[in-house]
Amino acid sequence: MIDPNGWVTLDELTPGGDGVVRGLDGAAGIVRRLMDLGLVPGTVVRHVRCAPLGDPLEILVRGTHLSIRRSEAGKVHVEPL
Amino acid sequence: MSNHSEVASPDVRVIHPLPGTSDEARRQQVAILGNPNSGKSTLFNRLTGLRQKVGNYSGVTVEKKVGQCTLPSGRRVDLLDLPGTYSLHPGSPDEMIVRDVLFGLNPETPSPDLIVFVVDATQLDRHLFLAMQLIEVGRPVVLALNMCDAAEAEGIHIDEMALEQSLGVPVVSISAAKGVGIGTLRRLMDRDVEPSNARFRQRQPAVERVLQSVSARLPRRNLLSDSGRLDLAFALMLDDGEDDALARYAPLDVQDDLRILRARLDDILPQWRTDDATSIYEAIEGVMTHAVSRTGVSRADQRRDRIDRILTHRVWGPMFFVVLMGAIFQSVFEWAAPAMDLIDRGISSLGEFVGSHMPPGPLESLIVDGIIAGVGATIIFVPQIAVLFLLMSIMEATGYMARAAFIMDRIMGRVGLSGRAFIPLLSSFACAIPGIMAARTIDNRRDRITTIMIAPFMSCSARLPVYALLIGAFVPKTRIGILTLPGITLFSMYFLGIAAAILVAWALKRTALRGGRPLYVMELPPYRMPSWRSVLITVRDRCLLFLRKAGTVILAVSIVLWFLASHPGLGAEGVRFEKRIETAERAGNETRAAALRSEMAGAKLRNSFAGRSGRLLEPLIEPLGFDWKIGISLITSFAAREVMVSTMATVFNLDDSGEGFLSLREKLREAKDPKTGEAAYTPLTAVSLMVFFVLACQCMSTVAIVRRETNTWRWPIAMILMMNSLAWIASFAVFQGGRLLGLG
Ligand SMILES: Nc1nc2c(ncn2[C@@H]2O[C@H](COP(=O)(O)OP(=O)(O)O)[C@@H](O)[C@H]2O)c(=O)[nH]1
Ligand SMILES: [Mg+2]
Repeated sequence: MIDPNGWVTLDELTPGGDGVVRGLDGAAGIVRRLMDLGLVPGTVVRHVRCAPLGDPLEILVRGTHLSIRRSEAGKVHVEPL
Repeated sequence: MSNHSEVASPDVRVIHPLPGTSDEARRQQVAILGNPNSGKSTLFNRLTGLRQKVGNYSGVTVEKKVGQCTLPSGRRVDLLDLPGTYSLHPGSPDEMIVRDVLFGLNPETPSPDLIVFVVDATQLDRHLFLAMQLIEVGRPVVLALNMCDAAEAEGIHIDEMALEQSLGVPVVSISAAKGVGIGTLRRLMDRDVEPSNARFRQRQPAVERVLQSVSARLPRRNLLSDSGRLDLAFALMLDDGEDDALARYAPLDVQDDLRILRARLDDILPQWRTDDATSIYEAIEGVMTHAVSRTGVSRADQRRDRIDRILTHRVWGPMFFVVLMGAIFQSVFEWAAPAMDLIDRGISSLGEFVGSHMPPGPLESLIVDGIIAGVGATIIFVPQIAVLFLLMSIMEATGYMARAAFIMDRIMGRVGLSGRAFIPLLSSFACAIPGIMAARTIDNRRDRITTIMIAPFMSCSARLPVYALLIGAFVPKTRIGILTLPGITLFSMYFLGIAAAILVAWALKRTALRGGRPLYVMELPPYRMPSWRSVLITVRDRCLLFLRKAGTVILAVSIVLWFLASHPGLGAEGVRFEKRIETAERAGNETRAAALRSEMAGAKLRNSFAGRSGRLLEPLIEPLGFDWKIGISLITSFAAREVMVSTMATVFNLDDSGEGFLSLREKLREAKDPKTGEAAYTPLTAVSLMVFFVLACQCMSTVAIVRRETNTWRWPIAMILMMNSLAWIASFAVFQGGRLLGLG
């Protein structure tokens, strides 16, 4: 799916690439949790790498490395930098 | 505690130390709170030394660590090491505990009088999120900027004064691992710290109004400030009905209204659930620019990246993982073995010593075969538990554990588990007891219980003697290529256990432990040198916990089993046996006397309650190809599976020495069915029996530890029913199927 703004989801960022969080979708509880962890709109996030078997991903947000699954990363919309 | 509402400015109020008190009931409660991996436990150990005890919060598998700490004034306080949490809006049982304790919703754990909030100074940005949430609750807080050594090494400078000013709480730089700043922290803890009234969160007026109206209707029974009550109101608004503590706290009519209010807010302000998170992060940015400066580039980040490039590499990562797991598995087997032998020998010499100093009789038998053997059955597990937890806490403290889970998540996800389930399951091949205890590192409750329920299917080392006996007696040493039939049989037994585990995990995840796959977010912490003190304290705690909680059950069951296997005795027949033994001894015929003694032991066991139950059991196990002799050994092997071998030896009137073991194979092969006169046991019986041993829940220690780790009898009972019916069905299928195919 091509986004009119050129935004992609976090899992679509190329490993090593940065993006700015623009929005989140999905169940309220999960969105709330991801935002508690720092993925609020405007934050710079990096897709560091993915696990040897392709899932989960390692992301870097506000100086912290987190591991989240692809399915959840797909709910975070970012503008690639 | 003075009234917070009198505080007008966000300044830090530091008032004189409270007078010392020896009164237990009034002892102040201090809680350590913070994000996972911020160094809470290291600080806790630093402050309490060895005066700590580990328990559980009632009803949940969350560990409760309480210790005592003496402050400079001589005043003693209770210190509570709360589980790590990312947010006061809980995402796991651990986090729920933190919220409940903090808001005074937990009836057994009073809301703390002071909170020491631990921050990793190298990750101040994200850790401030929880700090700000906490400060707004309106309880007295001291902020400990931990890991100041690491922050300094990375060129991070934090202006403590500026931070104090923005947050309104006292700030102190410490290094829990190196022992820096602990004295200052203790002095701060000794003061009467005022709650801060700094506010960081911005709420839309509509949301604010709703929260005000809800909070006005909540019971006023704790020490919360008005803003803390607003937090509770907000938590109630966010709750999706899964949160029991909240539901108990809010009156029913309020709960009804909440639904309406929620729907209304959803209409007018779709963002209302997350607006406050956004505003806290905005406030954090302000504080960060104000109070933190950085010089130079961080070498820690480069180092971490270099290590991770290998340890999470597509090829090297899994390879390293496999080698490490192999080493751990081997260590649990091998390193623990000498200590286990020592315990074994110590216990039997103790038994012999006591036995030789007591007149033979029921009391001697109770002490030697009941109590001493039971104590031995308990402490025999300690070496394996110690080794496993030593290795696991090193992995945890260095940060590798998170990488292991990162690598394994995908594979474990196939059976609906997370990467953290791997190590508990692997260690269960050595013994399910440490394996089940290791499941504590799994934060999701459903995953943890599923892991606990399938761990006993892994063929543990206690099953090996059973497999060895039966394979040795019945499986011909035929070669098949480079393999031998005994080897293949043994491998199949291990494989069968794994297959059963996968099947049961799959079934549990679709029935009793159903539920959406929880949000999985795991921090990958920086690599650090472990604090050896904390590692050793963890190991000690695990062993003590096991001995205290599971050990008592194991001891009690051992004594019951001893009673069943030794009573009611032989009566007049026993007297006749003793006379014959005496005659043989007087004639100098030791061999004859020994044979008679074995025969007498056999007769005694056959006549015992366990022996009679073996006969009672016969109709139930006959379809599996087992006779009453096997029935007896199934009962006694509840003490530990390997007891099956010595029981069979006794039943066949053999002593259980090495020679006895060899002749036991013979006896098993030669045993005749009294009704048909044919061989009582065939290779098919052996396979059926091994299958039964793979699948059945026959280990009281496992039952005891599952009871302890899940905090209810529900799961251990479910485990017994599930495993034993599975074992029966599988053995039935093997034996009857084999007979249909003409195999035995
Ligand atoms: N460099 C450094 N490491 C620390 C310090 N305090 C704790 N650690 C390490 O940080 C890791 C996590 O500590 P732990 O106490 O288990 O954190 P918890 O999850 O908050 O209980 C361990 O490897 C500790 O050795 C410190 O002051 N400096
Ligand atoms: Mg800890």
